[in-house]
Amino acid sequence: MENVYQMAGYTLHLIPTNKFKTMTISLRLQSPLLKETTTIRTLLTFVLMAATQDYPSTKALAAYLDENYGASLSTHIHTKGQSHIINVTTSFVNDAYLPSPEHLLEKQLQLISDLFYRPCLENDGFQQSIVQLKKKELQEKLQANKDDKFSYSLDKLFEYMGRDQILGIPGTGYEEEIQKITSQQLYQYLQKCIEEDEKHVYVVGDIPENFVNIFERILKFPSHCHDYPSAYIFKSPRQDLLEVIEKQDITQSKLNLGYQIQCDFTSPSHYAFTVFNAIFGGFSQSRLFKVVREKHSLCYYVSSSYDAFNGMMIVNAGIEAKDYHKTLSLIENQLTDIQAGHLNEEEIHLAKMMLENALKKTNDEAGSMIALAYNRDITHIHETSEEYIEKLKNVTLEEIVEVAKKVKLDTIYFLTGKEFHESH
Amino acid sequence: MKAIKYPTLKETLYFEEMPNGLKVYLLPKAGFSKTYGLFSTRFGSIDTTFVPLHEEKMLKVPDGIAHFLEHKMFEMQDGDASEAFAKLGASTNAFTSSSRTAYLFSTTSHEKECISLLLDFVQDIYLTDENVEKEKGIINQEIGMYDDDPDWRCYFGSIQNLYQNHPVKIDIAGTVETVASINKATLEKCYHTFYHPSNMMLFVVGNIDAHETMNLIRENQQQKHFSLENPIQRAIVDEPLDVDQKEAILHMDVTMPKMIVSMKINDILTKPQERLKRELAMNLLLDIFFAKSSTLYDEWLNEELINDSFSAQFIQERDYCFLQIGGDTLYPERLKEKIFYFIEHIQEYDIHQNDFLRLKKKTMGILISLFNSPESIANMFSRYYFEGIMIFDLIDCLDSLTIEDLISLRKLFDLQYTSSYTILPQNE
Repeated sequence: MENVYQMAGYTLHLIPTNKFKTMTISLRLQSPLLKETTTIRTLLTFVLMAATQDYPSTKALAAYLDENYGASLSTHIHTKGQSHIINVTTSFVNDAYLPSPEHLLEKQLQLISDLFYRPCLENDGFQQSIVQLKKKELQEKLQANKDDKFSYSLDKLFEYMGRDQILGIPGTGYEEEIQKITSQQLYQYLQKCIEEDEKHVYVVGDIPENFVNIFERILKFPSHCHDYPSAYIFKSPRQDLLEVIEKQDITQSKLNLGYQIQCDFTSPSHYAFTVFNAIFGGFSQSRLFKVVREKHSLCYYVSSSYDAFNGMMIVNAGIEAKDYHKTLSLIENQLTDIQAGHLNEEEIHLAKMMLENALKKTNDEAGSMIALAYNRDITHIHETSEEYIEKLKNVTLEEIVEVAKKVKLDTIYFLTGKEFHESH
Repeated sequence: MKAIKYPTLKETLYFEEMPNGLKVYLLPKAGFSKTYGLFSTRFGSIDTTFVPLHEEKMLKVPDGIAHFLEHKMFEMQDGDASEAFAKLGASTNAFTSSSRTAYLFSTTSHEKECISLLLDFVQDIYLTDENVEKEKGIINQEIGMYDDDPDWRCYFGSIQNLYQNHPVKIDIAGTVETVASINKATLEKCYHTFYHPSNMMLFVVGNIDAHETMNLIRENQQQKHFSLENPIQRAIVDEPLDVDQKEAILHMDVTMPKMIVSMKINDILTKPQERLKRELAMNLLLDIFFAKSSTLYDEWLNEELINDSFSAQFIQERDYCFLQIGGDTLYPERLKEKIFYFIEHIQEYDIHQNDFLRLKKKTMGILISLFNSPESIANMFSRYYFEGIMIFDLIDCLDSLTIEDLISLRKLFDLQYTSSYTILPQNE
């Protein structure tokens, strides 16, 4: 159902469907995740979105998008294991639902091209006032993220667990480096992205006949092919468990656990691990939810997530400070229970059904369709959703126990209130 | 069964009222894998004083009870509803707002079984003293989670500032104290009063056949017995015109200050069409002054008073109505003064025809795109349904708005009914 075309400097993936009233275009730029470039790359996603020569301010650009029937335009930055991805996305109403044809596809595609080739410049760099404004915006966004204790404690887990490794590099940059970046450096970095980033473009919607020609005409990048690594298996240089307890003036404590798992997106055991995670803590039917929340009433949320690109697993829960050790041991017990092979076929069947249902649902949302396709494209895994479901279904009890045995707690990060005492 | 066609959006909606009073709406969507069912009751966190079914006197129930009941509904005599859905390959959830509680499932298979299960688990209650007690620990952690969330504290604090008596000032989940006082008997009273079919609506959207689905629902309802219910009597809130507090400041363990200016609107409309018109017109008006394409946004951005988190919103629910304007800011005091100045002098700010037309286009596009997702359709449908409005009418109503409609809204702005809520770091 997906058609792929090799274009000038990018791969175009067309996913035709007429079930949506909008069309979504997503351009993804991939480059290695590096300590040296994480901040400049993040700042670039902010500056890129600020203005173009035709629409030289936030105000003018926003007004243009309003005119295009509220077309969205956004940039996001995220990591995929060892890769650092910039995502430029636009979505706009299909002409069929508008009073008159607006040619929004051409207009929005041209706008994306202009973000890269016709930004507002001065003195061989981005316009100084824009860069200043966006530096402030990024700085404040990072601060606000820190104030959200859930995401702060998760970031801290990655920081401690991944010290001096890829996992420890924050995908949204370092706050203290923002001000050092000059407009000229930023513009040079854009040129580097245009030259060296590996690019994929995804389109979901009601795709007209002459579609590829429109792309050929409007969107071009230099033709280089790069194969950057993404998924990897996290390995810790430490042998011992690292336990970090931080105190702040807060009501609810946040427990975050990081595990080594010896498996990633490209491993043969990926399918078995996916099923393991669904049994262990991936859903509200999973063991952690049933035991820690339903049986012991210790929390409102508790779950495990399999990070298939960093080859590791996270468990997090919001609990009372006094329940720290109790919660830890309940989580540990569930893991050792599965490792000991205490599993039944019904539980496995249920987990597989939940995974299948979750996967099928991605077909009803353009963004998730693209995310799924992209994961496969950057890891070169040629697999349809049907094949993937088939592989999940074939996972056996023994294979689940096998992957569970490789799970090892690596780091505990506990954010708690000022009154917490070690002796609990 | 009635079929209602909406040619602009290329959608057909099916409707039938069951003999027991339950309203059923179906929206088949070709090409979608997912089916989404939403079963809602007009019972929310503000319904805390009412006459229980078959009783005569008003009863005040503990705050947070609608939300507590939502948690407990999943427990069935023969197991847990979430697990039963899981066995069908489906997932389920629920949410409580100020004026309604909604239960939902989402599935890509076994649609019929899921619809029956949704009806069955919500139309039956199984409570024991033990399972009620046990839920309290979970809900207290849910409350605790919001306690540490500065965005939520600022948002909710700015609403609390406005109201002296109205229960909208109480957190949807209640407080640790009110949750402690909830018991089985009161939960059952709420259930029998508000979960009567005549107070409820089922909406199913997605991969379904309208006729087969309606037959199934009809048969399901015929098998159940509900005692007759008189219209529910809710206490009328006696809310003074004045705000509760003009200003509040909360210090938290955070680094980024936040500030929201809120304004109470005492002129409450009752006719659904007028309410819809006011909502759409007010949102356009706020867009004209505060969207990214507006002059004020641009000015304040360049003065470093606001950032991307800045927004202005209009809330209109059953019997209350207010505005909120604000976001993260390094200079909460200066931003507050700017917004206060705007509210006081709104008559002097012109509304230009080109801004009006441009933002109307934007709103139109956003409304159309909401029809992409079964979830957003279902949630919107349920919210507007209890307001007496069909969501498919939104686009026509928007189309018919004139600039005069916006101009006339300026009279609702009044500094006397305005307050501010600020979150500051602990050392400031």
